[in-house]
Amino acid sequence: MAKKPRVSVNFFAPSTAGMKAETSVAKAILVLWFLLSYGIPTFIWIAGLSDPNGLGESFLTDARFLGFPLHYWLLAQGCTVGYLILCKLYCVLWGFKVTPLRKP
Amino acid sequence: MNRCFVIVMSSIILLALSGTLALGAAGEEIYQIKQGFKLVPAIIMVALLCIYIGIGFLSKVSNTSGYWVAGQGVGKIGNGAAIASDWMSAASFMGVAGLLYLKGWFGLGYIIGWTGGYVLLLCLIAAQIRRFGKYTIPEFLGDRYNSHGVRLIAASVTVIIAITYSTAQFKGIGLICGWIFGMDYTASVFFAAGVVCSYMLISGMSGITRNQQIQYVVLISAFLIPLWILLRKAGGTGILPQLEYGNIISNLMEGQTATGQLDPEATKSLREAYLPWGRGDFYHFIALVFTLMVGTAGLPHIMIRFYTVKNEDVARRSVLWGLFFIGLLYWSSPVYAAMGQFWNPAGGKAVADVIILSAPERAGLGEAFIGYLASGALAAGLSTVAGLLIAGASAIAHDWYATVYRPGCPDRQALLVGRVFTAILCGIVVLFALNPPALIAQIVAMAFAIAGNTIFPAVVLGIWYSRSNKYGALAGMLFGLGMTLLAMFGWMVKIPMFGDQGILPATSSALIVCPLAFLINILVSNAMDARLDDESAERGDNILRKLHNLPDHIEENDNQKKNAFSN
Repeated sequence: MAKKPRVSVNFFAPSTAGMKAETSVAKAILVLWFLLSYGIPTFIWIAGLSDPNGLGESFLTDARFLGFPLHYWLLAQGCTVGYLILCKLYCVLWGFKVTPLRKP
Repeated sequence: MNRCFVIVMSSIILLALSGTLALGAAGEEIYQIKQGFKLVPAIIMVALLCIYIGIGFLSKVSNTSGYWVAGQGVGKIGNGAAIASDWMSAASFMGVAGLLYLKGWFGLGYIIGWTGGYVLLLCLIAAQIRRFGKYTIPEFLGDRYNSHGVRLIAASVTVIIAITYSTAQFKGIGLICGWIFGMDYTASVFFAAGVVCSYMLISGMSGITRNQQIQYVVLISAFLIPLWILLRKAGGTGILPQLEYGNIISNLMEGQTATGQLDPEATKSLREAYLPWGRGDFYHFIALVFTLMVGTAGLPHIMIRFYTVKNEDVARRSVLWGLFFIGLLYWSSPVYAAMGQFWNPAGGKAVADVIILSAPERAGLGEAFIGYLASGALAAGLSTVAGLLIAGASAIAHDWYATVYRPGCPDRQALLVGRVFTAILCGIVVLFALNPPALIAQIVAMAFAIAGNTIFPAVVLGIWYSRSNKYGALAGMLFGLGMTLLAMFGWMVKIPMFGDQGILPATSSALIVCPLAFLINILVSNAMDARLDDESAERGDNILRKLHNLPDHIEENDNQKKNAFSN
């Protein structure tokens, strides 16, 4: 029996249409996930660089949203709600891009 | 009968052993809450446990062929509740509120780490692992890489995670039992061990299936109901506590608490806690968040949830619902922490892990409500411990004993090995729990570091990189495991580099170690590509075909697999 050719799977170089669709959805969501998870803390960090005490005090810690200090709300509720939206978005995008390819 | 005897005897021997070895008086938290036996909470606890086990019996009657197998009607919401119920442990219940109480804003890293990890899991792992189907994580890795070495490391990691994670749960269960029955910490850890063993005996003996949806409702209601009353007592309207505590936090930053305006020194300290870098710097925050995220996506007992759902669609949608149900808990933990600060701003570390009991107690909430809350935490800890100990023991019995050490041994023998190891693991956990090295949520974070540094890279590359092979996986996993254990050991003996402020903290080692483990896996795989035997290449490819719906996939049955390994 002839040897089968090796399978090629690479997240950054998908070899089939199905894989392409799946990774493109995953990549889009991961970029947003990264911005949310690390962008917001980085933003709070940069905004607070001018605080001479090094505690990160800035307009973000002075501002209030729903009664919360904004920097607190952004992480305690903003990020978690954001993750929920991302999960929903993933399912929706999958429905648009991947599911049609599976139909016979 | 035999099984009861083995578990009970091993437990007793190990308990006695660990009792003589217990050195320190951990659990100082217990002295921070009201002492003495409390009748109402005790009744609630027993009643709740009865409901908990009773639900299992009822589920068994109505659904004999097994919850998941027969669960054709279980949709995305039901499975989401099941994911959340599995996730909710004493760490989520007590530990997160404790860390937020102690660390203020910095503690929010635990919340985004433990929720954001699900996005990672969804994007990289959930759908593919569902296609793989029916095995455990050590089995997935062992098959994909066609290597007993990889399988054994994965099984060992599962065991280490089970021990670390259970230690944190035991600390929580011990503190709760101490509060309800008025025992000191050491006695309550032994008591907790007794409760855990009897819980496993009762639930295991009758073969009951856990009805996670109902359990989720019990747990989340125990956590949420006291909040409404608590917030009303603190001056809020008590309509939606999760949105109302903002003002309390803003006031805390100005030093306003239930006891009046704090002195300038205390105000400054409280304000620092709620400012971004008052309790930790930017690097440590990012490192913590990253570690918890890759850990969440790499925890074997969470990944396993996706094997068991009806289809890929449900797998994806149930992550969304699971995250929502987990979100309910994590939107509420900071409320407890803020309430703790409001009623008891100077409690410090000694009160942190019992803050969900202490805050309502200070607010005069009444024993019935606190009892319900405590029982919820206890139930959460118990089911998590039972699940973890069984997962750890089955990793030994199934993935090591029955697959590697004695392939083809009778099922009864493997089952017995599993039971003996359940008891042994329980004893080891008690030993650690008597002298816990850190706060509940910190101990759990170390378990996440192990998962994120070893399992996560191997699984992601196993799914998404066809050139990754057994040599790369072995090198990467050994590096990840070694570095994590080194950091944990360094933390325990207080080497500054691995401490809270060090460059490689035991709770947050993945920011450095995980990317390196990826890199090592890729480099070694490529370097050894030419030496990979045809069989390993073909078996790995065959699994990849299944994971990515590629043509020419050949179904393997278990006998073929065993033969392949014995050749």
